[in-house]
Amino acid sequence: MRADEDVLHSLMVDGLDGDAAAHAALLRLLVPLLRGFYRRRARGSDDDIEDLVQETLIAVHTRRASYDRTRTFTAWLFAIARYKMIDHFRRVSRLRPIEGLEDTLMAEGEEDAVAARLDVDRLLALLPAKQARMIRATRVEGLSMAEAAEAGGIGESDAKVSVHRGLKALMARIVGDAR
Amino acid sequence: MNTDELITTLSQEVRPVRRGAIGRRLLVGLGLGAMVSTGLLALWTGIRPDLLAAMAGFTFWMKWAYTLSLALAALTISVQLARPDSAKLHGLWLAAIPVLLLAGIGVLDLLRTPPGEWLAMWLGHSWKSCPWRVLALAMPIFAGLLWSFRRLAPTRLRAAGAAAGLLAGAFAAAVYCLHCPETSAIFVLTWYSLGILATSLLGALLGPRLLRW
Repeated sequence: MRADEDVLHSLMVDGLDGDAAAHAALLRLLVPLLRGFYRRRARGSDDDIEDLVQETLIAVHTRRASYDRTRTFTAWLFAIARYKMIDHFRRVSRLRPIEGLEDTLMAEGEEDAVAARLDVDRLLALLPAKQARMIRATRVEGLSMAEAAEAGGIGESDAKVSVHRGLKALMARIVGDAR
Repeated sequence: MNTDELITTLSQEVRPVRRGAIGRRLLVGLGLGAMVSTGLLALWTGIRPDLLAAMAGFTFWMKWAYTLSLALAALTISVQLARPDSAKLHGLWLAAIPVLLLAGIGVLDLLRTPPGEWLAMWLGHSWKSCPWRVLALAMPIFAGLLWSFRRLAPTRLRAAGAAAGLLAGAFAAAVYCLHCPETSAIFVLTWYSLGILATSLLGALLGPRLLRW
């Protein structure tokens, strides 16, 4: 299951209605998201990162009454994650100087980036697999057309056409949504 | 404990959460605290003996309208600050409405009263004790709200503390109306508000310490 806003939101709402399985599934989906979030912002050992992830999961669980189901789930989640990180720094900074705090602060907007990535995932899921794979390789991961074609085991002109058609379909889709 | 085990443990107890859980939880904390405050007031200063007669008059309802509408405004702010993603607050101006209305009544009162009696009207009989009593009565309510926040997720702790203090103070002032025999609008506007403001300040001071999670 892909961890996009719709999936997370509906699992959260089911959990709030008392569905323990949905709640467990939600927490499992959050683990990689939170690991990525903290790895990019807090430079600590893997243990530190895992501590933060666990603390956040506990907070998501014990403070789920603070989630309003009409609002965006990921905004709620990342607000908790950010609070937990600041709290973590506050505790740690009493013991040792904060290193790389500037980098952490520079990483503001990361949350938007994660949300954007979730959006991209959702949009690409609408396309045929080959087009999605080629767009992801060339536009998201930054491979050259030749590298992407080789990785995908197809010809370069085939790759080019796939990217072109895929982007065109997405464009039509986005313009359609905006109307 | 590894993360998988943690998730299994957490998922063993998944209680349903109803819509509007934030407001509901704050109201429960507020209600429990207010019951303690009312009991405290009855034991400490006593309920005014002419309460029923006073409830037939204008000033009693003016005081309740002022304090309860202020509490309602504080409640809407507290609900927002109980959410982690409370970047933008809406309805802060609501808290100004009761103050302005009461100030309006105060001005009308002053116009109808000879200037020689203004000071007596302003100070009443209990100006020295009124703010302190409101502050004291607010403490059980503030404690009740701290309990409410234990399952909520405020991330702006100072602001959340101030909002909870405002709510506790305003509701405590409403409780205090059960005792207080003062009748003038400018008395309430000054001394009640002073007690409410003091509670809010205390909340702002204590918030970062007490609301941390």
